Amino acid sequence: MTLSEPAVYLSLIVFLPAIAALVLAIFPRLNDDALKLTTLAITIAVLVLSLGLFRQGAGIDFQAGVAEMQNTFNLEWIPSFGIQYFMGIDGISFPLVILTAFLSVLAMAASWPITKHVKAYCILFLLLETGMLGVFLALDFFLFYVLWEVMLLPMYFLIGVWGGPRREYAAIKFFLYTLLGSIGMLIAILMLYFNSDLTRLDAEQMVNAGIVKTTPGQSVEDALQAWTDSGSPLANDYADITAESDLAKRRPLHTFNILALQQMGQMENSPFDKEMWAGKSVQWWAFILLFIGFVIKVPSVPLHTWLPDAHVEAPTPISMILAGVLLKMGGYGIIRICYPICPDAAYDLAYCVCFVGVLSMVWGAFAALAQTDFKRMVAYSSVSHMGYVVLGLGVWSAVADTGYSPYYWQMGVNGAMFQMIAHGISSAGMFFLVGVVYDRVHHRNLNEYGGLFAKMPVYSGLAVGIFFAGLGLPGLCGFVGEVLVVLAVWRYSIVLAVISAAVVILTAGYILWAIQRVYLGAEYTGPHGENLTPITMRELLIAAPLLVLAIVLGVYPPSLLNYMQPSVDRQVERLAEWTERNHPPGTEGQALNDEGGHMAATRSD
Amino acid sequence: MEPASTLPTLLMWAWLLPLISFVAILFFGKHMGPHGKGAAYLATVAIVGAGLLSFTALFGVWLPNHPLADAAHASDPLHGNHGIPDDSHNGSHSDAPTSAGKHAHRAYHGATDGGALRNTQRDAQLALNIQPVALLAEHGSLAEHGSLNDSQAHANNKTPPYYNGDFYTLAAFGPLKLSIGYYIDSLTVAMFCMVALIASCVHFYAIGYMHDELHEFTDSEVTLADGQPLKRPGRYHRFFQYLSLFCFSMFGIVIAGNMAMVFVFWELVGICSYFLIGFYIERKTASTAANKAFIVNRVGDFGMLIGMMALWSSLGTFSFGDTKDADGKFTERGIFSLLRTAENDYHLKPAGDMAFEGHRIMPTDSDGEVQSGDSDNRAGQWLLLVAGVGIFCGCVGKSAQFPLHVWLPDAMEGPTPVSALVHSATMVAAGVYLAGRFFPVFSPEVLLVIAYTGCITLVIAATIAITATDIKRVLAYSTVSQLGYMMLALGLGGWVAGMFHLFTHAFFKSLLFMCSGSVIHGVHTNDMTEMGGLRKKMPVTAYTMLVGCLAIIGAGIPLSTIGFSGYYSKDAIIEQAFSFADLNPVHWPLKWAPVAGALITAFYMFRLWYMTFAGKPRNQHRYDHAHESPRVMTLPLVVLAVFALGIGWTVPGTSLKVTNLLEQSRPVGTLATTHGELLPSLVLPDEHRSHEWEFRKPAGIAAFATAALGLLLATVVYLWRFLNPDELKQRFRSIHAVFWNKWWFDEIYGALIVAPGLLLAKWITKFDLGIIDSIIHGTAATCKGGAKVVDAVLDRTLVDGSANGMARGTWDLGLWLRKIQTGSLRQYVMLLVISTVLLFAAASYLQQIIPGQ
Repeated sequence: MTLSEPAVYLSLIVFLPAIAALVLAIFPRLNDDALKLTTLAITIAVLVLSLGLFRQGAGIDFQAGVAEMQNTFNLEWIPSFGIQYFMGIDGISFPLVILTAFLSVLAMAASWPITKHVKAYCILFLLLETGMLGVFLALDFFLFYVLWEVMLLPMYFLIGVWGGPRREYAAIKFFLYTLLGSIGMLIAILMLYFNSDLTRLDAEQMVNAGIVKTTPGQSVEDALQAWTDSGSPLANDYADITAESDLAKRRPLHTFNILALQQMGQMENSPFDKEMWAGKSVQWWAFILLFIGFVIKVPSVPLHTWLPDAHVEAPTPISMILAGVLLKMGGYGIIRICYPICPDAAYDLAYCVCFVGVLSMVWGAFAALAQTDFKRMVAYSSVSHMGYVVLGLGVWSAVADTGYSPYYWQMGVNGAMFQMIAHGISSAGMFFLVGVVYDRVHHRNLNEYGGLFAKMPVYSGLAVGIFFAGLGLPGLCGFVGEVLVVLAVWRYSIVLAVISAAVVILTAGYILWAIQRVYLGAEYTGPHGENLTPITMRELLIAAPLLVLAIVLGVYPPSLLNYMQPSVDRQVERLAEWTERNHPPGTEGQALNDEGGHMAATRSD
Repeated sequence: MEPASTLPTLLMWAWLLPLISFVAILFFGKHMGPHGKGAAYLATVAIVGAGLLSFTALFGVWLPNHPLADAAHASDPLHGNHGIPDDSHNGSHSDAPTSAGKHAHRAYHGATDGGALRNTQRDAQLALNIQPVALLAEHGSLAEHGSLNDSQAHANNKTPPYYNGDFYTLAAFGPLKLSIGYYIDSLTVAMFCMVALIASCVHFYAIGYMHDELHEFTDSEVTLADGQPLKRPGRYHRFFQYLSLFCFSMFGIVIAGNMAMVFVFWELVGICSYFLIGFYIERKTASTAANKAFIVNRVGDFGMLIGMMALWSSLGTFSFGDTKDADGKFTERGIFSLLRTAENDYHLKPAGDMAFEGHRIMPTDSDGEVQSGDSDNRAGQWLLLVAGVGIFCGCVGKSAQFPLHVWLPDAMEGPTPVSALVHSATMVAAGVYLAGRFFPVFSPEVLLVIAYTGCITLVIAATIAITATDIKRVLAYSTVSQLGYMMLALGLGGWVAGMFHLFTHAFFKSLLFMCSGSVIHGVHTNDMTEMGGLRKKMPVTAYTMLVGCLAIIGAGIPLSTIGFSGYYSKDAIIEQAFSFADLNPVHWPLKWAPVAGALITAFYMFRLWYMTFAGKPRNQHRYDHAHESPRVMTLPLVVLAVFALGIGWTVPGTSLKVTNLLEQSRPVGTLATTHGELLPSLVLPDEHRSHEWEFRKPAGIAAFATAALGLLLATVVYLWRFLNPDELKQRFRSIHAVFWNKWWFDEIYGALIVAPGLLLAKWITKFDLGIIDSIIHGTAATCKGGAKVVDAVLDRTLVDGSANGMARGTWDLGLWLRKIQTGSLRQYVMLLVISTVLLFAAASYLQQIIPGQ
């Protein structure tokens, strides 16, 4: 039980906030400031722990350039259903974990103006953090689902109790939307679970799934044998079942292991190909349900209307968390679960996915243009920006005509992941900056602002910087993700590419117009003008790191890509290989003569 | 010095110095000297330093290694290239020329070295002149023309000498790579020198011009709610901060080694322009103009993105140049060499697999090449068209070409030095620069689009300039018009002519703007109707501006080599137009528009000069308070005037001349007459043909005559006043209204694009609130209603009903049983007896039916 064990270290990252929440709940008397300071200290501790993953050479560390899942551990949790306490970290989850820990610190620091029921607020905030971190680290589908729900409830209360005038409406809307998604997700999880069969995996796949651990120099078969003999409940089940030599009589060994499910989804004769209903396979329906669940979270049009309400009513720090982290869970779910587990369905529905992405981009941008509420405008900009994520994930250009070249798709998925981080930074910053002026003048009407540059110069400078990051200005983080996604689309669909490129005009329109109405102009004529004081040191310390990060990521994207790209690339390569196996040239009713594609492939090699 | 390493180093530092200055001013600007005055010095030192580095690169490294050929037709870069087999250097040694081409080159150069240049040249070109027209009917394919051209003395030119490489990689996916790199040829170096020189002048000038920002600034154009004009702290250092950022971004575009990097800095100059136009943030007009500039530019960038996507998805690279290993083998090929291979004699040909890809939606396009069964790859040609027009859209936005020209005149809301630097000399020229850089990728059809765009722009903008009375707006429209000239030149195949005009225009237009700024500084108004007679009050400004005016109208002795800078470049453009129209008579507007434009240009420029400096003062009060600007402002005027006069000249005793320098960068494969693939009747003449006497003579005369006529008209109306401008205005009321209202572009865009866009935005919001949320609310209400039904039917009736029923039954039973308990002993005994009898009867009956008991 030392910190160098992944089980301890990762559990600590996830559950330290929850433990702290319990402790806070038990200790009765603390004044508000002490409570906030304690909570802030906890979030900082979690950030330090997660940054500790960078430290190379220790027992637990995250190594850049490694595609595989790292620092995995699994412990039995509910053995009778094969449910494990299984976590790990790879290039897809690592940046999101760091982002979550980082934004939690900033959001807690932004929580100082909260004065109502501080203790309850802090407890719920910490529980929320546990839920978020857990979702990104969980590799067992059941664990994932539990943590997903864990995060939902605190959020409901944080909006519903500490929110604005229509908080109950917003909270219940948020809750119902998300609940609808999670119910679909639960059904899909059970569908996949009852169709899964761990015994179909070979030794190497068992190792890849994190079930069997190898020691250096040991062959995978030996490792599997050693594991089978190890006597753990799962291994015993496995041994019992595989002892039956008649394959027809074998009962399946169900699993919730996400990595194992991914390999089952991509294997030949996948167990998920079984026809289920209306001529569609298990994975087709599972994909639909999962995708709806995740896309509600992203959120994409037409399932997005909870977001503006939730943001408008939520207090500033909760908006930061909501935009910065919660929306990313949707994208994370799609990349981690939908695509690798249900590739066949994803391949069939790729155009729908892309279409949803593009629709959200355009829809969100237009809607943002029409808003007069500052926060609502930023919320709609989130819809638009997260559309890039969905689009980037979906551009399945590794098809027969292009010689199954995965590179453009890799670009799209990496762009989507980059966009998630970039949006986490810029949108959290934007919501915070809106909160700063809202705390002073208590309104958000864009048409009643103006002239803030004169009264709050440093604040306005930061704000313009962060809004430009949202606008996708080169040199700031928003640009990289957007340009990678947009450039990747043409190879998949020209129409969607053209539409997605057009969004740059709308984005410039609504952001510049908002800047003009809020920061520029001769004087502030709205209510409470006397309260417009320059930003405090606390506020500066929250906003400045966001802008710095935005610049670092924008100027030197490898600072993020180096960690993220290997995992993303490998997943896309696997899916490209899967496409080549399952959709050989000429099977799709597409151009039979794929000379162009082959030439593309040879050149790319 | 080894150019392959020194050139990038020098230019990189020239590029980064302004960035360093920007960062320093950003953080410490306020504390630099009194009122931030030190910021100005820092920025100026940075840009002068950048200028020194750039000129060192030109004179110290480039020219010693690449001596200029002394003939105008020195297209062969071999001259300057001896023994630099560096791996990062991709000179013309790289591509083995075809033997025919080699032979032709040698023959051609034999001719240039001798004195009989012109004759040989002309003979060859005359022959060429006749041939393509005749050939057109017989041959369709490009390859045949290519080989034919080779057999003439005019071989297609090879890749010009350049140095390229990467600073660092932004992102890489397999073979796909986005990077920050450099591509340095003589055009790059020349642009660096030009930008740095003009920017230095502008910095010096701005030190004086912006001095009222040093203290509390009273903005008389902004009235506060209490009726007072706005008073605010000065923002002197901010101005120089933005200028520095702008210079950095502009250098970034110029040095960029690939399209992605161009796009990055393209956007950055856009945002600098946004900051500078909106410098007076308190003025609504300024911030609106800034928004307009950025958004209109984004419309162009949208097209540019499409072009980039098309190229990226088919070629998989954005690099301009090739990368080679030590053995001279290609490791990565750039756009130019992929599209113009040595095998194709450097003719533009879509790469083999260039087609619309990713065609789940349009499968038939994917294999157009295969289906059509011939080698012309029509799908690829279309893709090239899309890519070319797309990239050009970006140039249209940045260079304020029709139909996106509307932002530039509004951009005059910014301080004048900004207009001089950003909106006349450099940033708006970036569009032309990019079009020039991308020239090898433009197919003849794209060039035709470019030519017509330029043509329309130059005429429309010139007509608006006639009626404008704001001195800066006249110059703004003049800029738009001149940029149209450059685009026209490029579109007609006149690469050197277009780029040359970019250089000459940069000098004379920045001069003109700074003169106008000096006037505004002196009389505190932009309105020319309140000026007049100012040459007595501000002689330096007046006469330097006169130089600028003469330069822009192309004053010179016709058919000679003596004239102002504009004379050379504008005549070159008109010559090219004549040469083009000779082969393509159907495109006659392209021939006459530049000629007509020359007339209008001369008219409005001298209208401006006369209204400002000549005649009697129209506003005595303003005249009395007018004064010449301080020396820090006039000195740059003089410097620029010298350049505006002489930038087109050859340095005596050498072959040093801008056109010769540019000729070294002539894009690969653009010296052969080419034909359209999609429009087979389109013939693009090679540029050297335009220097034929056959075209030079009429072009020179036409240019001179129209310019003289325009000058004369302006003199008649505004100096001698034989004609009254007001009467003319009345006479041509309808036309005047068109020009005065800028052809109603703003109104049309407002009605056709902005208003519907905002309306759509409102609808979408309403859809969210009205439809989607209604569905949600409806679902919620239905669920709630359903729950109530469930509650009423199931819970209350069945579940509750049965529970209540049992309870009631028990209760009733109890009540009923109570009746039995009467207290009468006789009844009790009776009941006891009956019960006992019944029990016994039941027991005996049970005993019978249960076996084994």
